[in-house]
Amino acid sequence: MPAPEEKIAEHRITTKPFYLPQGDEVEIAKTAHANQLPLLLKGPTGCGKTRFMEFLAWELKLPLVTVSCHDDLSTSDLVGRYLIKGGEAVWVDGPLTLAVRAGAICYLDEIVEARKDTTVVIHPLADDRRDLPIEKKGELLTAPPDFMLAISYNPGYQSVLKDLKQSTRQRFVALEFDYPEAELEARIVGRESGVDQATARALVRVAAMTRALKDSGLPEGASTRLLIHAGKLARSGIAIRTACRVAITGTLSDEPELLAALDEIVSSVF
Amino acid sequence: MDHSELTARLAALIEVDALNYWEIEDYVEQLAAQPTEVQEEVLRQVGVIWPVSQALCLDFLDQVQRGLNCLHHSRLGEWVNATLDVYEKDGLKQAQRFLAEVESNFLCQIRGKSGLGLTEAGGRLLPYLRGLAGRALDLASAPTTYTDSQTIFLPPEITLCKEKRENFLTYKLLASWQWGLLAAGTFSARLTPEQPLIRELIVRHGRRLSSEQPFPANFYHLFPDPELAGDLFLLVETVRITKLMRQELPGLMRDSAPILAQLRRQRPALSGLEGKNRLLEALNHWALTAAPPESAAGPNAKLYARAVELLLPLANTGGTIDDSLGITAQLYRLCERLPGGYHPEHPPILGGRLQPRAVEAIRLRRREESRQQFIKALGAMLAVEAGENAPPERHPAQRQKPSGLPDDAAAALLPPPAKGGEGEQPLKPPPAETEYITVGGREIKIPEPLRELAGEIRQDLGRIPERYISAALEQAGTAAVGGPGPDPNEGPEATGPLLYDEWDYRRGGFRKNWCTLLEKQLLPVSSPFVENTREKYRGQLRLLKRQFEMMRLQQRFVRRQKEGDEIDLDAAIEALIDIRAGHPASDNLFIRLNRDERNIAAIFLVDMSYSTEGWVSTALKEALVLMCESLQVLGDRYAIYGFSGMRRSRAELYQIKHLGEQYDRKVKGRISAIIPKDYTRMGPPIRHVSRILAASEAKIRLLITLSDGKPEDYDDYKGEYAIEDTRHALIEAKAAGIHPFCITIDREAQEYIPHMYGAVNYIFINDVKRLPLRMPEIYRALTT
Ligand SMILES: Nc1ncnc2c1ncn2[C@@H]1O[C@H](COP(=O)(O)OP(=O)(O)OP(=O)(O)O)[C@@H](O)[C@H]1O
Ligand SMILES: [Mg+2]
Repeated sequence: MPAPEEKIAEHRITTKPFYLPQGDEVEIAKTAHANQLPLLLKGPTGCGKTRFMEFLAWELKLPLVTVSCHDDLSTSDLVGRYLIKGGEAVWVDGPLTLAVRAGAICYLDEIVEARKDTTVVIHPLADDRRDLPIEKKGELLTAPPDFMLAISYNPGYQSVLKDLKQSTRQRFVALEFDYPEAELEARIVGRESGVDQATARALVRVAAMTRALKDSGLPEGASTRLLIHAGKLARSGIAIRTACRVAITGTLSDEPELLAALDEIVSSVF
Repeated sequence: MDHSELTARLAALIEVDALNYWEIEDYVEQLAAQPTEVQEEVLRQVGVIWPVSQALCLDFLDQVQRGLNCLHHSRLGEWVNATLDVYEKDGLKQAQRFLAEVESNFLCQIRGKSGLGLTEAGGRLLPYLRGLAGRALDLASAPTTYTDSQTIFLPPEITLCKEKRENFLTYKLLASWQWGLLAAGTFSARLTPEQPLIRELIVRHGRRLSSEQPFPANFYHLFPDPELAGDLFLLVETVRITKLMRQELPGLMRDSAPILAQLRRQRPALSGLEGKNRLLEALNHWALTAAPPESAAGPNAKLYARAVELLLPLANTGGTIDDSLGITAQLYRLCERLPGGYHPEHPPILGGRLQPRAVEAIRLRRREESRQQFIKALGAMLAVEAGENAPPERHPAQRQKPSGLPDDAAAALLPPPAKGGEGEQPLKPPPAETEYITVGGREIKIPEPLRELAGEIRQDLGRIPERYISAALEQAGTAAVGGPGPDPNEGPEATGPLLYDEWDYRRGGFRKNWCTLLEKQLLPVSSPFVENTREKYRGQLRLLKRQFEMMRLQQRFVRRQKEGDEIDLDAAIEALIDIRAGHPASDNLFIRLNRDERNIAAIFLVDMSYSTEGWVSTALKEALVLMCESLQVLGDRYAIYGFSGMRRSRAELYQIKHLGEQYDRKVKGRISAIIPKDYTRMGPPIRHVSRILAASEAKIRLLITLSDGKPEDYDDYKGEYAIEDTRHALIEAKAAGIHPFCITIDREAQEYIPHMYGAVNYIFINDVKRLPLRMPEIYRALTT
């Protein structure tokens, strides 16, 4: 079993991630870190939250431990547990504990997906105590100054169930993310997928139109990520209308008329 | 169908006493000449219209012959649907007019073949358009193409091309083009006599800038021949917008090239035209495909070349609305050199002429709406602020007018409302201004939820009129000193009447706002009913409670897992023994806490129609008692509503227990108070409780309806119609994330049941005595 130092080394970011700031979010996040305040990233899927965290970790020169939350995630999955290895019970740190011990950034992606009782373990860690109780071991870890907790959630989900509890959210510095403004988004799409600026701009225009369909039954519009996918396919020789259909419209809806309308959008722009 | 059969069929559909005998005779006479399938179709449509409007239905019968001259009978339904849409939106008069204009509404020249109706195209066209525009524009059919900035009107059918696909593309092109007008600001310029161009035109033609006409009509009227000016402006705008579209929607314009060529082929030939008409038509040809018409080099080749030269910059690099105005004026001067008048005999380029008055009407309506919204929202916020900051006794002081600005003075600052555009302030203030407003002499940041609205108002009026703010302050003052709210102990008030749509299967659409639903409280009675029921089922109830208690605990722990929160001691001991014994040990040694806590909300919707009288009603009530008793131990949230009513104007829903309420004396009293009332209109109550459920926070939402048979009301809510509406309401519930489940009590299974409930789960109980015990069983099965 690797020693903790080795394990955390996996989480170091070795090359500078490409990130174009949308506003003052980098500065705010750094200030929050300096003041030992945890971060809450809000925003729709694929708008750059994960990329932002990577960039922040690089800037702060800290390892980044990311946990994608799901509804089966238990406290032990985060904190750690005993495993039986060769007939012996051995304690293994969970990712959160790992990050706390190493003074790293722990990023809990899509926190609302986690069980409510799991979310509670981050409470003492997210206020000024900055403690992580490991009940099984009877240990109380206090986070070093460099440790930072960040969580993300997508407020766009319809279900009331998927809302973050007040007692949780009121511990964080909230950064609102949205799809970058058109010119910036086109630059990102161009850079990440390799398509020329004219194509990138047109992709962004398609995205804007799909995002306007919220009230017409489309739960979410095309994300930056999807535009990059379409761009990549087009770069590799797939006809642009086809690329858009498979990478963008097809992923957004299964409803035939909406799909047809989305295709009309694509064939208008390209 | 022969004469007498037709008479009988028609008389069965419409109430004959509403008509004279000879009137029916007239209709029958007309219809008798038609083949049977046409007669059937007409009768079907009569069945659709009659319940909505009798007057309209008679009109339909009057006009149906004309309709059939123009439409294939399979398309009568489309015609009727479009008519009903007009009826529901604009009333009887407009609908009658729509019926009468069947020929122009359905461009009848090429009948049937490859034409595409707007109804058919709309499903795909509407979301496309909304995506394009970034807002909820609407589509509607009208004889000509135009927009009022809220709706885009397109011909009800397009038969321009052979292929459906191409006709769709034509729709798409026309709709996108109308969007282009809105996006390019064709309707939003403001003219003032000070602008150089306007001053020049006033001097040249000696006309005044009309304050009665909205833009761009006021512009046309600066010229001696407003009609010519209008068509020139439309031409210029066509060129400008085509450029915009080539830029923004290159794919569409590429795909549409054959359509534009086709449109151009349909334009009149130049050879038959003279003077101004000829020049304008030549330019129309050019504008459609950017290629000169064959006979451009006619008598006035020079003028034509000069006109194209004027238009080229717009076509090549685009321009603003001001550029268009300038070019229009120049073109007008060119035209003046030609002899004769201008008599447009042909349809304008790309659909229709602009309709500035329609746009203006929408603008004024929106202005009024946003004024009211703004005042209301800002007022509410200020009231909250006042409530938070000030002790209650200071409230009266807050009611005073904002310091410095007496109301009248504030009002005087307002640009004259509802007048033409020219008197108003220039638009587009610097964006920073959007953030702040001055309230009572102090700058406050516009609260987030109001930003958009404030921006809209500034777009329209140039700024937020003081009057809006003082009205909001006024309102805030009144609200802050308003009387106390409703007494919380009184329980939830019965809500006001609510409107619900009803599904008409024949029409394949909703009758809008068709039913009025009243939510009422059932007054508790004191009765031994609940106690008696408990006594009667004492043994079974004990069993039920145990079962339900088990459900609560059920599966909370899963044993023998690879990982978990607790060590599974049994498994661990076994494993140790295995190791000792030299066997490979299992590593499934943990107990895992199951995450499935019950997060369920259920609503029981109980039939209270007169047909439940007697045993059924008693059994229903007993079932409710057993259900409540069992649920007591389980802790699921649940509500109970009863429903009945008579006619669409009075669907009634009786609240017996709402979701947040305890099963207490009052609830017991209300269950005892359930008595059979009127009819069984199932659609509205299903739709209503679906809404309640959809708003609840539960993971699983169950809607359990209990009824004794077919849905039926006193009016035409019967048979297939009623079944289809009920079915549709259930499907809607399902789409809203609700699990509907229906329990039907009937002596024998009816064939309608599988169809009505086909989409949802149901159970059929033929022995009503078994219902009370079956019900908790069903619930248990549903939720484990
Ligand atoms: N500001 C940005 N700078 C650079 N790249 C960006 C930016 N915003 C988005 N991207 C690109 O978009 C892609 C999707 O972003 P990312 O994975 O960070 O989204 P996310 O918000 O974490 O989505 P999810 O909520 O689905 O996890 C990234 O891979 C990146 O290429
Ligand atoms: Mg992510």
